[in-house]
Amino acid sequence: MMRRILGAAVLAAALLGGAARADDTLSPLHFQFQGVLGSYDKAALQRGFLVYETVCASCHSASALHYRDLEGLGLGPDQVAGIASSVKLADGTAATLDDTFKPAAMPAGAFGGALPPDLSNIVAQRPGGARYVDHLLTGYAPTPDGVTLLPGHYYNAAYPGNQIAMPPVLHDNAVTYADGTKATAAQEAADVAAFLAWASDPNLNERHEIGLRAVLFLVFLTVIAIATKRKIWRETV
Amino acid sequence: MAQTTLDAVAHGTGTRRDFLTILTVSGGLVGLAAVVWPLIDALGPDAQSDAAAHMIVDVAGIAENSAISVMWAGLPIYIRKLTAKQIADNQFVVPDSLADPADYTDRVKPGYENFVVVVGLNTATPCELEGNDPADPRGPFDGWLCPCDGSVYDPLGRVRGGPATKNLAIPRFTFLNNAQIQFG
Amino acid sequence: MSTDVKPSWTASRLPFLADWEARIAARTLPREGAYLSILPWVITAGLVLLAASGLVLAVYYSPAHAFDSIQFIDRDVNNGWLVHGFHETGATMVFGAVYLMLFRGLLARPYKAPAELVWLAQVAVFALLLLVGWLGYTLTGGAASYWALTEAANAASRLGGAPGAIGVWFFGGPNGDGTLGRMAVFHIALALVIFCVLWLHRAAKQAVTPPAVGRGAVGFHPYYTSQYFVALVVFALIFSVLVFFAPHFGQSRLNLLPADPTIVPGKLLFPWYLAPVSGLAALLPGTAGGIIAVVAGLGVLVALPWLDLSGPNGRAGFLYRFLVVVLALDVFGLGWAASSPASALSGILVVLFAVWYFLHFLVLTPLVTSMEAE
Repeated sequence: MMRRILGAAVLAAALLGGAARADDTLSPLHFQFQGVLGSYDKAALQRGFLVYETVCASCHSASALHYRDLEGLGLGPDQVAGIASSVKLADGTAATLDDTFKPAAMPAGAFGGALPPDLSNIVAQRPGGARYVDHLLTGYAPTPDGVTLLPGHYYNAAYPGNQIAMPPVLHDNAVTYADGTKATAAQEAADVAAFLAWASDPNLNERHEIGLRAVLFLVFLTVIAIATKRKIWRETV
Repeated sequence: MAQTTLDAVAHGTGTRRDFLTILTVSGGLVGLAAVVWPLIDALGPDAQSDAAAHMIVDVAGIAENSAISVMWAGLPIYIRKLTAKQIADNQFVVPDSLADPADYTDRVKPGYENFVVVVGLNTATPCELEGNDPADPRGPFDGWLCPCDGSVYDPLGRVRGGPATKNLAIPRFTFLNNAQIQFG
Repeated sequence: MSTDVKPSWTASRLPFLADWEARIAARTLPREGAYLSILPWVITAGLVLLAASGLVLAVYYSPAHAFDSIQFIDRDVNNGWLVHGFHETGATMVFGAVYLMLFRGLLARPYKAPAELVWLAQVAVFALLLLVGWLGYTLTGGAASYWALTEAANAASRLGGAPGAIGVWFFGGPNGDGTLGRMAVFHIALALVIFCVLWLHRAAKQAVTPPAVGRGAVGFHPYYTSQYFVALVVFALIFSVLVFFAPHFGQSRLNLLPADPTIVPGKLLFPWYLAPVSGLAALLPGTAGGIIAVVAGLGVLVALPWLDLSGPNGRAGFLYRFLVVVLALDVFGLGWAASSPASALSGILVVLFAVWYFLHFLVLTPLVTSMEAE
């Protein structure tokens, strides 16, 4: 009976693991890290980081991320050092590995009071998570009839209230991907959403890995603990 | 036979129960260790402290005959680039003639003999030394001078005069390449 | 005690160990102990885990930079995310066990004289845990918990008379720079007090449990140690599923934003285990009303041994057990409505569920139990 339970558990884990190993896809929008045993697609994370650095970092900060954390994307220490030193801080010096992601200095009135939110935890903070970020970035649409936009705002189908102060920033070929993936706006949105998901939760891979092992071990331990207890209690006085 | 004590339980009848009990108890101990380990590991150096403990400093930008001062491990560290004359004057000094005998090779790393890395604190009266900038007073040996008690050091950080009797301390470091030093 | 057994090396040198070894092997416990009587042990084990993970968190936590220090723990400390998870999920698990223990108490009636102190200790654990949990919630420095602390501290300072004086003493005045530091110390101190109350609970339980005699009696070790081990492993299994696959179970996303004095949530939000009590607090208007409602809510639990009019040997009849199930659903609904976005419907539901809660204890319990006592 023990073997049957263990077998069922291993089978279930394999099925779940198998389903989660699919890469990120665009339509239907699916992230590899979704699901109970999901993990990050490192290639998508690196593409997303490129989009972030090129497009988002000019206005948004990510003050909980240090440049040295980028090794979690699968980049080597030399690449990370190179990325850090290519960033120019407000005082003109290059960034070090210990620096956090800060935007270039903008004049005080540049955002009209609507400061761009910090993106370190945005995927965890917003209902809908990475999916919401993707829909927001691809949700810009022509203003429908009957809707008057506030000054300096744009119509966005995904944003609560539909009027967002951020202009549409993603367009086809805004970046050139090193791995040759076609840089459509939808691809860029999905990749940067994956990167921001990693930024919110860099430990997801480890957590799922340890979690699977822990649960399997504990199921096994439960079974033998129950068996031990029954053996002890069956002892006749 | 009534079993009323722990000893009796340990020597239970039947090998099957023993194996199962041992397996269960070991499983429990493994589980307990798995819970305790992250708690202990979390108290070790975190990423930030680790990075600070193994700080990397760029030395390519140091001009000859001048030194920079960086903070590491709570201490001011002086990194100086020596001129050819300073190397020649100090390379062949007989160690036994010094108050704290030290050979040239003890003070510099092989392959990078023109760089001197020392803790910039006087070894007698604790005081930050002067001499990093070429215009600073450096004492008769063109090294460092203590403004508090007049101790004199040569460009390799060896004590040459004054109340101090020990050479300047050398921190733990390695050259990653021509341009970078890593401490720790 | 058998005389043909040699005490162990340490026991012969520390007499209290010899007594302890003999006591846990002595056959004084019944064979058919109720399974759920394990719960106080499981709660103690959970609290030990919370204390250990809490101590490690305290090394890195900074009240002056609450949110940032927790980000630091999650990102930069080795396995910091896991230690944080132990603490967060441990709180959920311990509260789950306490709610289970209380509802089991409603059905099994462990408070029949002379065992009232057993029940009172359980209610005391619950009340202290609510306070410790609320304090821990404020320590996260998130957007929602910041406002929970601000409202509580400011309102407490405005109360008159003795409650106001106590409030000002507890919070140190309106929410300011030093408030979180105090909350952290109270969080730790009250958690240690809970250990004492659990010990008191155990002492009270043992005082009213006669030793079993005869052929069926078994010793604590190895009979109940093996049974409790199974309970602990099942607890660990549920804990692992939560901590690894749903680390923010029962927490609001709003609290993952840093505290911001310029962003006020439409409604105060709490973790799932504080939600029913926050629903009770909404029953009466104003700060004073909220405090009265919560105190009254705990007070009816305290008064339960005397509200229950069944006889000394009463086993809960069908109607009473049905009412307890309804109460469980009611408490669940109260928490759910209190956590829903503010609307007319949720406001009405909260009041309805809270009223039923008091109705159950103050009116239905005496009625039904005296009815079923015949």
